[in-house]
Amino acid sequence: MKKILLYLVLAFISIIMLYPLLWLFGASFKSNDEIFTTIWFMPKSFDTDVYKKAWETVTPYTMGHYFINTFLIIIPKTVFAVLSSVLVAYGFARFDFPLKKFFFALLICGMLMPSIVTIMPQYYMWSKLGLLDTYIPLTLPSLFACEGMFVFILIQFMKRVPKEFDEAARIDGCGTLKTLFFVLMPCIRPAVVSIAVFTFLWTMNDFLSPLIMIQSVEKYPLSLALRLSVDSTGQGYEQKKIIAMSVIGLIPSVAVFALAQKKFISGITAGGLSG
Amino acid sequence: MKKIFLKIAAVCCAMSLSACSAKTVHKVTKPDGKLDKCSLRFSWWGGDDRHEATLKAIELWNKKHPDITITPEYGGWDGWSEKVTSQVKGGTEPDIMQINYDWLISMSPDGNGFYDLDELSSQLDLSQFDEEVLSFGRVSGKLNAVTVSVSGRSLFYNSEVFSKMGADYPETWNELMALGNSFGADGLYPLDLDIQSGGTAWYLAVVYVQQQTGRQFITLDGRLGFTVEDIKTALSFYKQLEESHVIRTVRTRTDEDGNAALYQSPEFIGGRVAGVLEWGSAVGKYESVLAEGVLEAGPLLTDENGCSDGWMIKPSLLYAVSKNTEHPDEAAAFINFLLNDEECAEILGTTRGIPASHKAEAALKNSGELKGLSKESDDILRNADTVTISPYMELSRMKEFYNQAIESVSYGTADIDSAAQQMFDSVNNYLEKIRK
Amino acid sequence: MKSRIYRNSVGVSKFTGLVLILPFIIGAILFIVYPFVCSFVVGLTDNSGCLSFNNYKNILSDRNIRQASMVTLKYTAVLVPLKLVVSLLAALLLNCELKGIGLFRTAFYIPSILGSNLAVIIMWQYLFTSDGLVNQLLSAAGIAPVGWYGDTNAALFIIVLLRVWEFGSTMVIFLAALRDIPKELYYAAKVDGCGRIKAFFYITLPQLKNIIFINLVLQTIAAMQEFNAPYMITGGGPLGSTRTIGMYIYDEMFRYGDDGTANAVSWLLFVIIGIIVMLMYKFTSRLRRD
Repeated sequence: MKKILLYLVLAFISIIMLYPLLWLFGASFKSNDEIFTTIWFMPKSFDTDVYKKAWETVTPYTMGHYFINTFLIIIPKTVFAVLSSVLVAYGFARFDFPLKKFFFALLICGMLMPSIVTIMPQYYMWSKLGLLDTYIPLTLPSLFACEGMFVFILIQFMKRVPKEFDEAARIDGCGTLKTLFFVLMPCIRPAVVSIAVFTFLWTMNDFLSPLIMIQSVEKYPLSLALRLSVDSTGQGYEQKKIIAMSVIGLIPSVAVFALAQKKFISGITAGGLSG
Repeated sequence: MKKIFLKIAAVCCAMSLSACSAKTVHKVTKPDGKLDKCSLRFSWWGGDDRHEATLKAIELWNKKHPDITITPEYGGWDGWSEKVTSQVKGGTEPDIMQINYDWLISMSPDGNGFYDLDELSSQLDLSQFDEEVLSFGRVSGKLNAVTVSVSGRSLFYNSEVFSKMGADYPETWNELMALGNSFGADGLYPLDLDIQSGGTAWYLAVVYVQQQTGRQFITLDGRLGFTVEDIKTALSFYKQLEESHVIRTVRTRTDEDGNAALYQSPEFIGGRVAGVLEWGSAVGKYESVLAEGVLEAGPLLTDENGCSDGWMIKPSLLYAVSKNTEHPDEAAAFINFLLNDEECAEILGTTRGIPASHKAEAALKNSGELKGLSKESDDILRNADTVTISPYMELSRMKEFYNQAIESVSYGTADIDSAAQQMFDSVNNYLEKIRK
Repeated sequence: MKSRIYRNSVGVSKFTGLVLILPFIIGAILFIVYPFVCSFVVGLTDNSGCLSFNNYKNILSDRNIRQASMVTLKYTAVLVPLKLVVSLLAALLLNCELKGIGLFRTAFYIPSILGSNLAVIIMWQYLFTSDGLVNQLLSAAGIAPVGWYGDTNAALFIIVLLRVWEFGSTMVIFLAALRDIPKELYYAAKVDGCGRIKAFFYITLPQLKNIIFINLVLQTIAAMQEFNAPYMITGGGPLGSTRTIGMYIYDEMFRYGDDGTANAVSWLLFVIIGIIVMLMYKFTSRLRRD
């Protein structure tokens, strides 16, 4: 009885959480009129033609092209972010060194500064280096552990792994890096996965930095390509096509999340921390 | 120790001052009168139809001039001016740009922000434009940009609703006010005015006062033409529109539509709100959410004597060349192609409004493409005694002043007198700050 | 100068740590210190490019900035506690061994991957308009419909609701921490005749205090910098009641092209956030240590 009640509560909340997505999917088959006047998700009819049109976009490139562009940014960025954050967090969590407090304070300061502010100086810097309209301004900064929050979370996780683990590895003759990758990493894997997933999702949704750094449409990532179609000022304004495009645009995020879900949520909650 | 540290800090500051404001001084490349092999960047914003047509036009150009490749850069309006603003600040803007009217003020306050197109007249045929149209693009005597099309805001109505109500389209301000009675009885509104980025609420109020007084709200050289009294009249006019149920109050409008544009609003699509004030070049999106032929152009409102003064026009878009371009001749040749080439004009159609170039307009007339609501609106405005909008009036900071005044009057958080005084002061201060 | 002993494991030099954080040191100079200095310096320059404190002086007397600061503080004060409570409750609910619980966990998490994606914004618009779903539900329940967007308080609350709905990442961190609490503690409590609610207050909460603090800090920082949601959902209105400092900075920088003011305000925001986080740290340090 109690179990059924629990299931009912969970199901009810899940519906609240997921309804918008369902509505969105349904809306991609609706006419302008229908979208704006009904809140019920089921469309009157399913016409998959809209997805074909959405895939082709209005540019000379299909959405596939923009997907590839997006991945050209996301994959290096994710790898860079994970590698550098882990290294730096390791340094902060396990070693004592000169000016440690100062650098840690700097890390926290970086988190407090609104990101809108740092984008313009960066833009000038890349423009002086002649690297605008390449993916370098979007990916390279990740190599330097700039996302303070990631380092911060990793430090918290590493601190909870008993120090005796490291000592034991050292006695067995492991070097500094070996200790990190073979002893610590397995213990903090959920945190690493979540950092990778966060980087992926944030980059998918990021709009402002590619807008400023990328110039030619050929190199646009998905988020920019989507915006390009939203502001339809001409005749034949069709909301459903835009919604269909954003539905397609959500697929990678949802897919990555579904794939990582086991590691991400189950892994993070499976008690991997208590060692 | 401390002193040394301070000194180092001071030096760092001085160095970063130059590093932070990436102002690199480029030499302006002089035209040499020849077309060389090169590649040019061209940027514009717009909707699907404009993108498609422009890309086709570029294809045609590449066929005619295989030596000069054009790299397109385009996007939606959202975020576009932010992008170009940062490009111009960093000196990385494209060679050729489609620009908005007020950018002339914000990006080239002294006339040196863009290339002086008068120097490029060997490639660019300016004789196709009326001198008045050309003057829109002049800043401090320098031709910074060429007008693509001229357009103005006029009124459009939902014909189904009007015929159901047995009402004619209003011709005078009094008739408009009177419509509120009959429409209001059924819970309908004959018109919609907004305080979003469009800011049609203040726009219509300005037209009303300009027609009465003959004074221009903001003069072309950026001075406030209205007195405090004029602003008061405008604000009370707006308040009266709300009170006579001609338009929804800001509160009701916001509750019903949120931050969505009118053409996405169920109230407009469902016909409860039956009219809109819009640029002739941008009315398509309103047209397409209603059944075909339902939206119709209405007459400009006049006073009792039929005087239509006070309605306004402006260049809806302009083309400009970057002052940093290394290929001014080629850039000018490309602009000439976009503006004056007959074949190109047919491809572009009216995706950027009714062309201001005589040649292009004639080409469209011949191919029978000059029709539809934007053409009707264009004709209506052409027959009226219009004034040119000052680019200063269009600046986004100014729009914030207008919208704030309207909003506080509508919500009743300020009385008309103090709202008018505050707007008068802020507008004056701001204009003074940027005018020099 | 006083010398310090660096306590590292045997055979580790005091520079190993420095080498490891070398990427961060480089990154900090390029992407934190340099933009920091830049933004401070740009904040010091007025329109004509001269050095002056005018921008900093002006922002202290500007009515709009004062309003934006109040909005931001109010938003943070409402959102952060609400979000923490909701995500903690959700985590407690999901912290059980039911069949198919993974499915529910995914469902609870999904909204937060959407961020302020366009799709969500469109959706939110139709939920809260006059004839939107929320008002339909309210009137079905016999409650008078609310004018959400036009009311200054309700409009801010719409944005709070969006961010609360996206509680996934906070929830996941709580879930992880809940799993870490030794089960024996609960068994012992049960033996002592301790009820569930009592166990929550005497075992769960004290065990979670560090994690609660981390979430509190992260969420406060995020809330203080909020820009996307109000920008897209309400556009800052009505009457500026949803215009956050983040939005103010964006407008000054990009819409109005006033870099000086934008950067000066950023520094103001930076200092406010710094003070708040420091106060939180100070006030909770006793609680966290016990």
